[in-house]
Amino acid sequence: MIFRRNDLPQKTLMNINLGSPHARERGARAFATPYRATTFCFRFTLVVLGASLCCSATRAEEASPEASPGKPAREVHFTNDVQPILAKRCYACHGPDVAESGLSFVNREAALSETESGEHAIVPGDIDASLLIARVISTDENERMPPEGEPLKESEVEILRNWITAGAKWQKHWAFEPLTHPEPPQVASEDEHPDANKHANPIDAFIQATLTANGLSANPTADRRTLIRRAYFDLIGLPPSAEEIAAFVNDTSSDAFEQLIERLLAMPQYGERFGRHWLDLVRYGETNSFERDNPKPNVWKYRDYVIKSFNDDKPYDQFVREQLAGDELDEVTTETLIATGYYRLGIWDDEPADPLQARFDELDDIVATTSQVFMGLTINCARCHDHKIDPIPQTDYYSMLAFMADLTSFGHRGDQSSFNQIDVSTPELNRQYEALDQAQRQAEQEETAIEQAGITKMSAEDQRATEGPKREREQVLKKNLKKHLDDDQWSRYEQLWAELKDIQSRRKALPSRESVLGLGRYEPPKPTFVLFRGNPHSPTDEVQPDYPTLFDVDPPTLEPSTTDRGSAGRRRVLADWMTQSDNRLTSRVIVNRVWQYHFGRGIVRSSNNFGQLGTPPTHPELLDWLATYFVENGWKLKDLHRQIMTSRAYQMSSTNTDEGLAVDPNNDFFWRFDPRRLSAEEVRDAVLAVNGSLNKATYGPSFYPKLSAEVLSGQSRPGAGWGNSSEDESNRRSVYIHVKRSLVTPLLEAFDFPEPDRSCEARFMTLQPGQALSMLNSDFVHEQAAKLAKSIDATSVSDDEVAKRAIRAVFARDATDEEVGRAVKLIADLEVNYSLSRDRAVQLYCLTILNWNEFLFLD
Amino acid sequence: MTTQRNSRSSFCGRTRREFLWQTGGGFGAAAIASMLAGDGFFGAGAKANEAAPYASPLAAKLPHFAPKAKSVIFLFMYGGPSHIDTFDYKPDMVGMDGKTVDVKTFGRGGHRNQGRIVEPRWKFNQHGECGKWVSTLFPNVANHVDDIAFLHSMTADSPIHGSAMLMMNSGKILSGSPALGSWLNYGLGTVNENLPGFVVMLDPTGGPISGAKNWSSGFMPATYQGTVFRGSGAPILDLAPPKDLADGVQRRLIDSIQQANSQHMAERTGHDDLASRIASYELAFNMQSTAPEAVELAQEDQETLDLYGVNQPRTDDFGRRCLLARRLVERGVRFIQLYSGGSHNDDNWDAHGDLEKNHNFHAGNTDKPIAALLSDLKRRGMLDETLVVWGGEFGRQPTAEYAEGSGRDHNAYGFTMWMAGGGIKGGVSFGTTDELGSQAVDNPMHVRNLHATILHQMGLDPNHLAYFYGGLDQKLVGVEHVEPIHQIIA
Repeated sequence: MIFRRNDLPQKTLMNINLGSPHARERGARAFATPYRATTFCFRFTLVVLGASLCCSATRAEEASPEASPGKPAREVHFTNDVQPILAKRCYACHGPDVAESGLSFVNREAALSETESGEHAIVPGDIDASLLIARVISTDENERMPPEGEPLKESEVEILRNWITAGAKWQKHWAFEPLTHPEPPQVASEDEHPDANKHANPIDAFIQATLTANGLSANPTADRRTLIRRAYFDLIGLPPSAEEIAAFVNDTSSDAFEQLIERLLAMPQYGERFGRHWLDLVRYGETNSFERDNPKPNVWKYRDYVIKSFNDDKPYDQFVREQLAGDELDEVTTETLIATGYYRLGIWDDEPADPLQARFDELDDIVATTSQVFMGLTINCARCHDHKIDPIPQTDYYSMLAFMADLTSFGHRGDQSSFNQIDVSTPELNRQYEALDQAQRQAEQEETAIEQAGITKMSAEDQRATEGPKREREQVLKKNLKKHLDDDQWSRYEQLWAELKDIQSRRKALPSRESVLGLGRYEPPKPTFVLFRGNPHSPTDEVQPDYPTLFDVDPPTLEPSTTDRGSAGRRRVLADWMTQSDNRLTSRVIVNRVWQYHFGRGIVRSSNNFGQLGTPPTHPELLDWLATYFVENGWKLKDLHRQIMTSRAYQMSSTNTDEGLAVDPNNDFFWRFDPRRLSAEEVRDAVLAVNGSLNKATYGPSFYPKLSAEVLSGQSRPGAGWGNSSEDESNRRSVYIHVKRSLVTPLLEAFDFPEPDRSCEARFMTLQPGQALSMLNSDFVHEQAAKLAKSIDATSVSDDEVAKRAIRAVFARDATDEEVGRAVKLIADLEVNYSLSRDRAVQLYCLTILNWNEFLFLD
Repeated sequence: MTTQRNSRSSFCGRTRREFLWQTGGGFGAAAIASMLAGDGFFGAGAKANEAAPYASPLAAKLPHFAPKAKSVIFLFMYGGPSHIDTFDYKPDMVGMDGKTVDVKTFGRGGHRNQGRIVEPRWKFNQHGECGKWVSTLFPNVANHVDDIAFLHSMTADSPIHGSAMLMMNSGKILSGSPALGSWLNYGLGTVNENLPGFVVMLDPTGGPISGAKNWSSGFMPATYQGTVFRGSGAPILDLAPPKDLADGVQRRLIDSIQQANSQHMAERTGHDDLASRIASYELAFNMQSTAPEAVELAQEDQETLDLYGVNQPRTDDFGRRCLLARRLVERGVRFIQLYSGGSHNDDNWDAHGDLEKNHNFHAGNTDKPIAALLSDLKRRGMLDETLVVWGGEFGRQPTAEYAEGSGRDHNAYGFTMWMAGGGIKGGVSFGTTDELGSQAVDNPMHVRNLHATILHQMGLDPNHLAYFYGGLDQKLVGVEHVEPIHQIIA
């Protein structure tokens, strides 16, 4: 049970039962006549013994779904209204995994059939005969379903009643069905709708259709200042300058916004912004976590690969194939090998208590991330048992795992590189290095032999010294070796010295060998077994690599691997299948994410979970239209951005209307554009941008922003694993900050930088006082405020000019008289009443502006 | 602490509706409006916001059932104290020092089947009405045995510091899950929004290994993560304005910011986040006075300071932190974790080398302050509602790690923790290890049972406190049903 805060006190008293040992007794009731309760008890006995109940057996129902007074009654829709109730409240006992008392709600046939008690849970059109209703509304605690958690709400019971009355129609879960290819709906013609020409973008046709159906009208287009700011942050994560705004505002060409989009998509900052979205999904971290939290060598190359892929508008299907099987493609390049760094991004314990468990935990991390990120499926829920809610049997989990059978662990404690580093130098360069290595070995051997010849003639004391530390040995040799060698020996010795020196300089002259993070070694694939309750020490049936059964496709034919690097070739098969144009999830999942990045929420809000515990799509046809469009146009993301951003929906104002708030406060139908807070990176980058100190250098190793001693003191070795970067480096964009798992940069953390150990589908957007403290008192913000003051040459102008310039620099607009007046008063006040120098007072004024909501929020 | 989110985003797996339902709404906009109206920030424009829903994840929430405890103080003996040298009396080992015995052990040195016994190095005596045997390492704590329930049969999944620390703090051997303190704040919120709900106080030698991972909120919002609290200077990072700013400057700056923000909001009817951010500055400002007051030990009388060993060289640091813990409990902080020991090697309880030197040092630093904390809580009538937990991430082996010396390797097969107050029975010992203390024998208990007990005493059902992430109802105690340790619950 999860409690709700809005519960009345008396409800809390009811909750007392749930925590007591009686909770299980309360649970021990079947969807059957009471005397059949034994069947049900069986399950709960299992629970006590440890059968997992991890999926949502006990999830309480969510708060009342937008029950707004002005809202027109909607027809009961199975997918949106009924199925979520069944999935969340019933499936744990009457779902794909278990069918207590012979009842399961996974499909219509099962749900309508006779239960073990001889009764029917659902009789279409007959509420009275449908035991489901009687049981969910029962006032007898021993009768009422579900046995755990709050009873169903009246509104939910009403949904079930209406649904049964209307014939209990069933629909398969939308996401598990093949893609449809809907045509945009016809919207009102130009005569009836003055904006009809604006529905030329099919997106608007879909949006307008639902708005009209719900009695809503779309907001007008936002003003140009708002639009350019929205587009800038959205595509490149940085604010537009005053000049850029002026140019756009005054651009009279009909395609001014289209041109703006083109300019932004062409900037390298686009990849930095959108690449970071991807890094959230693949839980990008640059260290391994755990005690040592060691760095992952060359991990930043994967980050650069992601940024560059976005900048190059790499087709998404190729992007997927490279990450999953970049080492197995027809054409393997350094770039595609770097892409396989995808498999090396997770946490890794270099000292596991149970190595076998650790190996399966590592693989689980990869299966969970891969299935959620690329397919929106929580296959990870089926590690220990069949998925409780979705039709994903436990065998699906292990069949997916079998595709990954050639992956080694990240490393061993004693070897943290060879498993994950790939030497990508040219063969010629490697030959040159090998030749030098060999020459060096020979010269050193001969040199040592001569030394030893001399050493044997030395005093015992000296001889002992040469066996000690290198430095002592060298001192002795330098002082006494010549005395104990003949002339030939000595001249040869000197010759060897010269040779070694030469080798060293030739080595220095060579370009350095390059390694990248990826699959440095492979595991010869062993058979994969289903593990009893997920326990790696209890293998049961063997499985072969196979696609999730819900796709209902033939198993793959696996050819013996032909790759010369020794991989098994299985991941390529998976990647090819995943990126087939008719894959029902891959394209839907990515277009939904792109929609989310533009609108703040996906058409499916749970963008990592398209299963039945996810949220139903608000615009299912639009989602499928976008997916179809995307695939037909070559999986090109930039094209999708254009399509979305040129829609009227994207360009709407964010102003609230009484009508909108009354009918659709959640903005499910997109009657307005949702305003948003800046992300952690946007906050920091914008601070650097507005004072002119942002260093826009792209790509390369990460940098270490300066952290205070207080922050470092939380480490067991304060400062360990944290470097010093120059000021110039430190002014780079936040996407280049070193991501140390045990030491996340506090400013970013305060603004909801995601925990890097797990996939994050959408950032939290909190507004907590820690953010205010950072923006008021951190060293970083004070330094940047001082730079802002300097950048506007504050010392040489009057207070009112300071205000005008600062507001122009930060917001790219003219200050109002009122704002200037308040600034002058504040600066004077700080000087007179708080004895601060004018310079300091002006800096503090600059700091206040960076704290304005106008800075942190986008309309 | 008010947290308001962009109402249209989804939050790592959940919609806004789900999120509000899970965290609970209730920090009324009207309340914020009236709070700010008192300061003259709201013009007419703000009134339109009053009807808007408003959520604060840290606002106090109702528990599942009537709680026994309101706060937890977790005294974390980092490194792993030896149970057989402290509270798990092994009389059969007397006289066996140096004998080689067959015993299965697993520590950082790997698996072994045999070892040289290191006889407990301290004498044990009986104490209290319950007659509990306690070693001379803890002469002061020994006076409180009648208030303590000892758990002698604790087990954990890993005898390696990194994963074992994560397990004791978050219930999982893998990083990325929320800490116990995060779960409590998620489940209960805080009754004092001017202080963090989850406070961590570190040893002067440094943090434990993995640092902030030990108080991370994992997949939950950072609002629930532990805040490192310092006993001197500004207790919280960035709490204090730079030193050159006189009193009043911060308020003046905030006033100026709020003026601009109020005006900005007046033009944006119904945008709740704007009001939330305005409120967050007021909460930040309140924290600036509340938190320093909480660490102001000058308010304590001399007798109390002496009781905790404040200003005595060995006990000053831990004594101050224990006293701070009591003061934070008084101010409504839910979960306070104190680390005894930090950094590496003998800077904490990790006695691989000289057992006696190590344990004499760490016990000597903490015995008096811990006893003082129990006394002080009790005499103030706070012990009943404050759950004190003592222990490390694991215990230590009965045998020597090396050919020479008294050092013991890690032991997760059996170790001791104890609890006091907060509805826990006193004078009780539950579970046993074998005659060497090498592994749990009777009533073995897992870290999950300890966590379940803590949640239960705080009024939360460990098997129902869930957070939906990654397709699963994630729980501190894991997916399988876990019982609290009923035998020690009063």
